[in-house]
Amino acid sequence: MRKLYWRIAAINIKKNGKLYFPYILTCILTVMMFYIMCSLQTNPGLSKLPGSDALKAIMVLACIIIAIFAGIFLFYTNSFLIKGRKKEFGLYNILGMGKRHIARVFSIETLYVGISSIVVGLGTGFLFDKLAILLLCKLLKFNIPFGFYISKIGIILSVIVFAAIFFLILLWNLKQVHFSKPIELLYGGNHGEKEPKTKWVLALFGFITLGTGYTIAIITEKPLSALGLFFIAVLLVIIGTYCLFIAGSIVFLKALRKNKNYYYKTNHFISVSGMMYRMKQNAAGLASICILSTMVLVMLSTTISLYFGMEDALRKQYPRDIEINAGTIGEQDAAAMGDALDSLIEQSCIKTKNLVKYRYANQTLLRDGDAFYPVNNHDVSGEETATIFITVDEYNRIQGKSDRLNNNEVIIYTPNNEYSFSDACFSELKYTIKTKIDSLNVEEYYSLQFMDVMYFIVPIEQDIYDIVYQDKNIVEWNTMRYYYGIDVDDTEEKQIELANKISEYMNNYQTKESPDAFWYTSSVAQNKNDFLAIYGGLFFMGIFLGVLFIMATVLIMYYKQITEGYDDRKRFDIMQKVGMCKSDVRKSIRSQVLIVFFMPLVAAGIHIAFAFKMITRLLLVLNLTNTTLFALCMLGTFVLFALLYTLVYLMTAKVYYKIVE
Amino acid sequence: MSLLEVKNLKKIYTTRFGANQVQALSNISFSIDEGEYVAIMGESGSGKTTLLNILASLDKPTSGEVLLNGKNIVSIKEKQISAFRRDNLGFVFQDFNLLDTFSVKDNIFLPLVLAGKKYDEMQKILEPIAVKLSITDILNKFPYEISGGQKQRTAVARALITNPQIVLADEPTGALDSRSTDGLLRIFDQINKNGQTILMVTHSTKAASHAKRVLFLRDGEVFHQLYKMSMTTDEMYGKISDTLTMLMAGDRKNA
Repeated sequence: MRKLYWRIAAINIKKNGKLYFPYILTCILTVMMFYIMCSLQTNPGLSKLPGSDALKAIMVLACIIIAIFAGIFLFYTNSFLIKGRKKEFGLYNILGMGKRHIARVFSIETLYVGISSIVVGLGTGFLFDKLAILLLCKLLKFNIPFGFYISKIGIILSVIVFAAIFFLILLWNLKQVHFSKPIELLYGGNHGEKEPKTKWVLALFGFITLGTGYTIAIITEKPLSALGLFFIAVLLVIIGTYCLFIAGSIVFLKALRKNKNYYYKTNHFISVSGMMYRMKQNAAGLASICILSTMVLVMLSTTISLYFGMEDALRKQYPRDIEINAGTIGEQDAAAMGDALDSLIEQSCIKTKNLVKYRYANQTLLRDGDAFYPVNNHDVSGEETATIFITVDEYNRIQGKSDRLNNNEVIIYTPNNEYSFSDACFSELKYTIKTKIDSLNVEEYYSLQFMDVMYFIVPIEQDIYDIVYQDKNIVEWNTMRYYYGIDVDDTEEKQIELANKISEYMNNYQTKESPDAFWYTSSVAQNKNDFLAIYGGLFFMGIFLGVLFIMATVLIMYYKQITEGYDDRKRFDIMQKVGMCKSDVRKSIRSQVLIVFFMPLVAAGIHIAFAFKMITRLLLVLNLTNTTLFALCMLGTFVLFALLYTLVYLMTAKVYYKIVE
Repeated sequence: MSLLEVKNLKKIYTTRFGANQVQALSNISFSIDEGEYVAIMGESGSGKTTLLNILASLDKPTSGEVLLNGKNIVSIKEKQISAFRRDNLGFVFQDFNLLDTFSVKDNIFLPLVLAGKKYDEMQKILEPIAVKLSITDILNKFPYEISGGQKQRTAVARALITNPQIVLADEPTGALDSRSTDGLLRIFDQINKNGQTILMVTHSTKAASHAKRVLFLRDGEVFHQLYKMSMTTDEMYGKISDTLTMLMAGDRKNA
């Protein structure tokens, strides 16, 4: 008797292969991906990687995302399975199997599916783990130590997480069987399908949320505010997408049906009514596909462009190969430090170029018209502006000029905004703008992309103190700083050699008159590894999750086609009997199915088109200014994705036509 | 000339691998005149459904001819067959075959819409039919909202709306309770009185007793036929019962 249950369970899975096989495959792949992510985190080889902390943080995040996603997704696909098999359980019930027995068969089935997917998933995980590491190391430009690594923690975590997911799915299935009557189970497949209701409010709500989301995405100019608003916009767009797919589509189709002259045409008649029911059944699934596709597209295009735009970003953040930046430093000390560095570099006999050194102060101020206030002044509303102050002497030295400024006169330079006023007021201090210049040799430095930047050339250093200390209670202030930057005209090794020499020297450097002085040195070559770890890690995660999401999309599409097929078969059978010819039937099926499946892709395309501007603003915060690169990446991923989508569609459509005909 | 003429119809089904041959119709010939009301009776497996499918041009016979108004429907090309079916034949099925996605009205309109008629025109044709079948109140409802009898009347309306040469009914009372059955048979009587030719395939003695002529099918052949002539429906019922008993007895004798 015992054995019978096991046999029934095994036969059930085999018999329902069309439904079960893709499900088990998905389970295996999700287990595999989860294991690989876990294993990468604990891989001893990767901990030696520079910037591995950042990388690990990304991996943990990816792990959590995969776990949550796997839970939702497996539940969702399971619901397809159960729907398709209700009749079977009804039959068992009527043939004399108690619910207890059905529950047992169910548990055994779940056990089969669960154990086989965890075991096979881990097995493939071990194999593909190596591949993932190779890919990651390639991306990070790091040589991986050879060897085969199996992560115990990865195994334990995968088993726990997926055992829990399968257990929850089982509970849910048992609940379904327990609370249903046999007759309902038997006819579970074909309840009289009710006409969808018109949900005006929901449609309007969706329209408004989507519109608001889009508007936010378009009108947001400031990168820093984009950061916060982005998530609001994403949330609004997600809500809007679901509402519009669910309610908006029905409202639209009903409006078409009301138009008698349009509706009572052979083509429209069948597609409009057919679409209405399709949308009723599939709206949520299609909206999910749309959101998933958008996520894949955004994730891949941003991570790819970040990775390939990394050199740019690195340059933006570190305009010179080697930089020394000192704060709270006096004028004499600054000059002495500069000279000391000059001679040190000269002694090292390493070729250098593009030396820039200057003394300045920087301060973030609130600008309201031509008036500037400290950022902690909450009574005024102004634009946060990065202001940099340089004396006219320093300016002349950098630019090779001999300008003169009278009292209360300034020269300004605004690299990324317009300043149309003739004055600038810092509380009571009022300066007249003598000239505006359109380039400054130090421009690369402090060329922040996500804030307005203003350079002020002031007559003497005392002016800077007066301006910076305009409010004695000011909290966030910096006194004078000193910047020393130089490019190395040689290999990266030479650059690191020089950077090490300088930082060693600077560690023991003493200032004479400014006891609070502090400084730090940085070199591009050394920072590159950190950048690689972060951007390469993000890129890797993008690919990884992209694959996962694409897989999910494929599976949802597959199940949709199958369930649709069984529903449609009867409908088209009737139509043929009433006098619709086969070619018309086929045409009608094709157009409906095409609309249903390509709607999410089109919607995803519209989403990313609206999101484009906002994402470019966000990338500015990460120092990616190359909009063309990003546009190309986005276009590329979209085209690739569309191709893949079409391919999957064609494959699943085959299954569909087989069922319908 | 008769409206429908069936000559030496033969249908042999071959199983998928060609091993077994099943003869569904061995040699059937009969004709139906315009305005007739014919019932075809027979046991399960006697070939009723196969015959109806061939008459409906849903299936092709192995040999033989089906002439509608002198035109052989067996030789109609695949492309024109749907239009032919739509214009000349009306169908009433046992399980109604209404589309859940359409309202009652749209279900009835379906063949006309497929034929490309205008809405106003369709509306004009529908009104008298809807009154006759007393479905005017439910026109805007959906199939899942109405009773079995109402569903079948809707299906009849859909069959009649194209003004077909012949209405083919496949066990039309099979899924109905006795009251709805009576109602439907009355409707069939009435539309037949108005000149509509009806061919009905049925198991039910009651349904067959309403017909003017009953053909008995056995093992793919027309075994016997009964004319109602001046008999009342009740007398006809008795006669059919007797014939069926005889058929059974013949079975036993043969066995």
